[in-house]
Amino acid sequence: MHAVEAHDLHKRYRTRSGEMVAVDAVSLTAHEGEILGILGRNGAGKTTTVEMIAGIRSPDAGRVRVLGLDPQRDRAAVRQVLGVQLQSGSLHGALTVQEIARLFRTFYATGADPDELVTTVGLDDQRDVRYEKLSGGQQQRLAIVLALLGAPRVVILDELTTGLDPQSRRQIWSLVEGMRADGVTVILVSHLMEEVERLCDRVTVLDAGRVVAHDTPAGLVASTGLAQRVRFRVHEPIPAGVLDRVPGLEAVDVAGEQVTVSGSGELLQEVSTALVHAGVVATETRLERATLDDAFLALTGTPLEHQEATS
Amino acid sequence: MTTTAPADVARTHRPGPHAWAALVAAESRMVVRDTAGLVVPLGLPLLILVMYGIGQAEDETIAGTGGRTVFDLYVLPLVLTIVIATIGVVNMPSFLSSYRRSGVLRRLSVTPASPAMVLVAQVVVSALQTVVGITLALVVATTAFGAHLPARPWQALGVLVLAAAAMYAVGMVVAAVAPTPNSSLAIGLVLFFAFGATGGMFGGTQNLPAAVQTVGEALPFGAAVQAVGAAWVGRPVEVSHVVALVAAVVVGGLISARNFRWD
Repeated sequence: MHAVEAHDLHKRYRTRSGEMVAVDAVSLTAHEGEILGILGRNGAGKTTTVEMIAGIRSPDAGRVRVLGLDPQRDRAAVRQVLGVQLQSGSLHGALTVQEIARLFRTFYATGADPDELVTTVGLDDQRDVRYEKLSGGQQQRLAIVLALLGAPRVVILDELTTGLDPQSRRQIWSLVEGMRADGVTVILVSHLMEEVERLCDRVTVLDAGRVVAHDTPAGLVASTGLAQRVRFRVHEPIPAGVLDRVPGLEAVDVAGEQVTVSGSGELLQEVSTALVHAGVVATETRLERATLDDAFLALTGTPLEHQEATS
Repeated sequence: MTTTAPADVARTHRPGPHAWAALVAAESRMVVRDTAGLVVPLGLPLLILVMYGIGQAEDETIAGTGGRTVFDLYVLPLVLTIVIATIGVVNMPSFLSSYRRSGVLRRLSVTPASPAMVLVAQVVVSALQTVVGITLALVVATTAFGAHLPARPWQALGVLVLAAAAMYAVGMVVAAVAPTPNSSLAIGLVLFFAFGATGGMFGGTQNLPAAVQTVGEALPFGAAVQAVGAAWVGRPVEVSHVVALVAAVVVGGLISARNFRWD
C-alpha cells in the first residue's frame, strides 16, 4: 500500500468564460517515508491536486487514498493522520501563537507538544504575539506547526517556504528532512528548484493540469538527455586518442585553448584521469551539469523561474 | 516495505470535551479582545437605560402591576432585547463572516475539528456575552434606578432564552448570505435598526401606524420586547409573540443551514 495514492483525478472549474480544466487525469503515488515533490508553475494544478488529496475539494472523477482511507468518506480518521499546510487560510487574528498552537493540539487524539513545536520552528520570541501582528514568514512557520501538531503520518505542505528568508528556509528544510527520518510521508508542493532538489526523493511534474513527468530529481535531469559538460583550458594540443578512450564521452569540441567535453557518467573524474595519464596540464576545469530547471524547460517548454518572476 | 492496515490508522477520534472547551475559550478571547465590538452590546443598552432612568426617576407606578413603573414595563424589556439583538444580529455574524473571509473556517476544515464547531462555539460565547449584558443591565437598573424584577421570573427567563435563539437564527442568516465581513456588519446593523424601529426602540409602538405595529410585533425584536414586558408585568405571553419568535428560529435556522458557505 502506498501512503498516498491519487488515481486519474479530474477537476474542472466554471469560470465566467466557460469551463476551465484545472486537473486532467492526474495520477501520483507517494511511498511511506518519502518526500514527493509536486513541481509546476502557477496554474499548473498543483494546489487543486493536493486539495483533492487533502479531501477539502472533491474530484469530478478519480480516486484518492491516504493510508488506504478515502479523505472524503473517512474524514474523521484521515484528519487524525494527515497534516495539511495550505497556501491560503488565516487564523484567529486576536489569538497569540501559543494560544493557537494549544487550541489546535486539542483537536487531535495524540500528537506533539505545541510549546516545543513552536520553539522548533523558531517562534520562541513570538509566543505571546497575536497572529495578526506576525510577519508573513512567521505566519508560515505557525502554519507548519499546525500541520505537525497531530504527529501526522502524512503531511501536505503547499509552498512551504514562500515568504521566508534564506536562513529560515534552511531551518524549515531541516525540519522536513527530520520528518522523513521519522518515517513521515511528505507531499511537497513547490516551484523552488533548490527546495525540490534538496528535499524530494521523487518529483511529479505538472503542466497545464497534466502530469508531464515523474521521476527522481536526478532521473528527471537525465531523462531529458541533457548531458553534462566538462570545460577546461589547455596550453598545448591534446595528443590524438587521449580523450577517445574516456568512458561515457559523447562529443569533444575544441576552440583554441578551450576544450568542451560532453558525455555521461563520472565524466569529470574520467577526463581528469585521462589528461593526467597523458601528461596534459588542464586549467580552469569545471563541470557543467544540466539542472532541474533545464529539465523543467525541456519538459514544458518554458523555464519555471522565469515564469514565476514575471507572473 | 512496512505498511499499516487502514483499520489501524482509523482511530475515529473526534474532538472531545477538551477541544470544545478550548474552542469556547478561544472564541471568548476573540470576543473580549475585540474592544470595539463590546461597546454596542454592553454600552448602548446601558446608555439607554441610564438616559431613561435619569429622565423618569419620579416615574408613576402603573396600577395592578405590583408597583411597577413604565421604566420596568417598557424600558427594561427594550434594553434587554437590545442586548440580545446586537450580539445575535450584529456581532456574531460579523465574527463568522470574517472567519470565512480570512480562511479560518477553511483552516479548521483540514483538522479533525469541523468548522461547524466554530459556529457552535460562537453561539455559546454569544450566549455568555448575553448573560453578562443582561446581568449588567439588571444590576444597574435595580441598584441605580430602583427597578423591579419580573413578576414572573421563570417566564421572563424562558422568553429571554427564546428571544436569544431567534436573534441568533437571524444572525446565522446574515452570516450565511453576507459575502464579506463588511457587508455582514452592514446587513446586521440595517436589520437591527429596522427590527428596532418597528419594535419600539424609538418610542412606544402605539404611536406607529397599525400595519407597521403589526409587522413589528411579528418580527423577533418587537415580539421579544412585548413578551419580556408581559413577563415583567405578570401577564401570560401572547401566543402571537411566541409564534413569531419560534418562527424566526425555524425559518432562520433552515435558511442559514441551506445557504451557509464554508469558504
